Amino acid sequence: MGTILQTKDLTKKFGDFTANDKINLTVEEGEIKAIVGENGAGKSTLMNMLYRQLEPTSGEIYLRGQPIEFNSPRDAIQHGIGMVHQHFMLVPSFKVYENILLGTELAHDKLRFLVDHKKEQQECAELIKRYGFDLDVNEVVENLSVGQQQKIEILKMLYRNVDILILDEPTSVLTPQEVDELLLQLKELKAQGKTIILITHKLREVMQVSDSVTVIKKGQIIGNVKTSETNEAELAQMMVGRKVLLTVQNDHIGQESPEVIYTVNDLTTNNTYGNIVVDHVSFEIKKGEIYGIAGVEGNGQSELVKLLSGMMEATGGTVHYKGEEITNLWADELRKLGIAIIPEDRYAQGLCKEMSLSANSIAGSTTSDAFKKNGIFDFKRIRQHCQELIDHYQIRIAEFDGNVSQLSGGNAQKLIIAREMNRQPDLLIASQPTRGVDIGAIEFIHQQILDFRNSGGAVLLISSELSEVMSLSDRIGVMYKGKILGEVDPLETSETEIGLLMAGTIPQEAVVYEK
Amino acid sequence: MKSNETLRNILNSVLPVLLALLIGAILILAIGENPLEAYGIMFGKSLFTLRGLTNTLHAAGPLLLTGAAIAITFRAGLFNMGVEGQLLIGGFMAGLVGAYLHIGNPLLHKLVAFAVGASVGVLFALIPALLRAYFRVDEMVVTLTLNYVMMTILEYLSSGPFRDQGAGYVTTPTIDSSAMFTRFGSTRLTPFFLIALLLFGILWFLNTKTEFGYKIEAIGKNPEFSEATGLRVRKSIIMLILVSGAIAGFAGAGHMMSQEYKYTLSFSGVTGLGWDGMLVSLLGSHSPLGIIISSIFYSALKTGADNINMYTSIPKEIVAVIEGIIILFLSIRFLNERFGLLEKLSKKKGEKNEPAL
Repeated sequence: MGTILQTKDLTKKFGDFTANDKINLTVEEGEIKAIVGENGAGKSTLMNMLYRQLEPTSGEIYLRGQPIEFNSPRDAIQHGIGMVHQHFMLVPSFKVYENILLGTELAHDKLRFLVDHKKEQQECAELIKRYGFDLDVNEVVENLSVGQQQKIEILKMLYRNVDILILDEPTSVLTPQEVDELLLQLKELKAQGKTIILITHKLREVMQVSDSVTVIKKGQIIGNVKTSETNEAELAQMMVGRKVLLTVQNDHIGQESPEVIYTVNDLTTNNTYGNIVVDHVSFEIKKGEIYGIAGVEGNGQSELVKLLSGMMEATGGTVHYKGEEITNLWADELRKLGIAIIPEDRYAQGLCKEMSLSANSIAGSTTSDAFKKNGIFDFKRIRQHCQELIDHYQIRIAEFDGNVSQLSGGNAQKLIIAREMNRQPDLLIASQPTRGVDIGAIEFIHQQILDFRNSGGAVLLISSELSEVMSLSDRIGVMYKGKILGEVDPLETSETEIGLLMAGTIPQEAVVYEK
Repeated sequence: MKSNETLRNILNSVLPVLLALLIGAILILAIGENPLEAYGIMFGKSLFTLRGLTNTLHAAGPLLLTGAAIAITFRAGLFNMGVEGQLLIGGFMAGLVGAYLHIGNPLLHKLVAFAVGASVGVLFALIPALLRAYFRVDEMVVTLTLNYVMMTILEYLSSGPFRDQGAGYVTTPTIDSSAMFTRFGSTRLTPFFLIALLLFGILWFLNTKTEFGYKIEAIGKNPEFSEATGLRVRKSIIMLILVSGAIAGFAGAGHMMSQEYKYTLSFSGVTGLGWDGMLVSLLGSHSPLGIIISSIFYSALKTGADNINMYTSIPKEIVAVIEGIIILFLSIRFLNERFGLLEKLSKKKGEKNEPAL
């Protein structure tokens, strides 16, 4: 055995942004290595460097002790490193064997310019048998399920004799049964001597199949552990991070008012693949309360926010606001009722980069008459409004008439917050409000949220930053697999308890919230 | 930043034209003629004489509208390539109204013809609009192919059921004089040009001063943002394609009543007013002022062709060559807008796949 793959101070920068910062990764021969981390932690970047789809900014990669010199995926495969991407690269109208051999077609013995289909079918059938896959070589790919298509991708690599197989989020597209089948398959491949690197953020799979785990957070390795010596709760904590970023004072006041302003009842929805992603979620928020939602990313938080902010339709359940049913209302209708929305992705949903600051400052209010005179935009009023927001929220801009693309992340987020809070809302839905912004902006945003709560506003805070949820919220619901698994009081709970909930285990003392 | 963008847009439009004229000049030199003189005659006669200028403006009327019909969808990231077909059916139906409904009152007759023309434009655009909004069928392909369907249908209708039996060629009957626009004096210019200009002005106003324009811009630049701020993207897409169809149908009706007076197989000219509109819109960077300038420039080029024939020994096809070269340059620009061609070509190896985080 011994080390098969090693990186030394591997770094990748995209402009000013460091996606991978001095990564020292060691993979032993014949093991299943899990690499976990949240979305955006830098897992895929690291793998794409190993596979030579990305050029490292600095640092080295050693394969069996030798520094690698190849610089294309084709070379990587020849050196025995293969990768199965999240999105498949198959020809839907071709048969299974044609896809496996795509690019390395077997020529006919005599007529060299013809493809020997018979030989191809035979070889593929043998390959499938050798590795114990269940697949018909003559089936057309477009008739196959996603799980079966993934097998073809793996077989493509196996045919090319790779020793190291990298799988990027292989289970994200699979059904639970297919996941189990894939995990078994991976163990089988390991038994046959292959080394497997598994990128995922699903901890159950990590525990089930891997030998060792490397946790990546914000482009850096947070920890290396043997799977047998850790548990899901510990990994969840490592992924989300323990660093307390909060510097603002939260005195947890405002609990006095008992009036419930926002009630979510049995909210349920499916994603485009038909899987249930939000599963009978129920909670209520009182005036002057911050309700936090914690959880490992990908457990339905994004979808929940989309449901509550008019970007996705619920298939079941209701949402009530001030006694009125508002399920599945459009975003502008929600805003008119006094709900402020800070969306998860500020450039995709919160702002339009290629539009001016003032145009962005009225987004969501274009249907109201506040910025119009006889149905026509009153540009003087709009510019004045935008200037007020900039002054009041201290947004640093370069050019008033320029586009939003001039703003830094923190200032862009401030513009969203300014726009939303300026409407004098009674409820704030804030999703990942401080993701990717600088410390100063984090402090400012946290203070805004607390001030709003202290003046009687209700807040729904969704964040993958555990410390943020812990220090701001008055109550926390923990999401796991689309459900709110338990509700805890941040002043009384421990990180271990939350960690267990995030990993899907219900500890004794937690309030069980299932119906 | 903004002024830089404007400058780039202007360069983007002026450069292809200059290059095309340059290549044209080389060809004229090769024939043994003086290019400066030829261009002088071409633009001089079509822009700087009263007769030429009015002819040019007259021809620019429908182009203004087809250019606008294309621009409003392009700005929203939609591609209505069916303006030609929508214009044809609009013109054809307006022709039937003009010839078969003997309304008598000139104003009313024209209004009815315009209403019918615009309505059939909308109805015809409904097909790609619904397919796009509900089934995500690429509107570019549908609108493009439906043009030929419409051409064939109209060819049948005008050579069969609605053919003017007295004529020696395929045509529908001539419209009543109450449906014809009267010309200004001895020029070919009619009030339709002013109507086109007015409609264009209204569109410009809606586009820059109202929610309609905000929607178009937001949807074109960031559909997800639009959805998140409560703009009904699907509804807006349908509405935009229908508005585009209405303008195209209206333009067809106007062309019928101010120029053709009957539907023949060459109703919309050799290249087709809908296609010309696309060129005009691209050349004008989909901006209102740009479209006005480019539609006048383009029709000057067309009217200038006749003058070249008349006053020099250069064949008038030189204009078609220049047009062709402009189209070639602009289509590169179109491909770039639609598919990010240049971006893909210039992407360096280290940057492919972007930050795949």
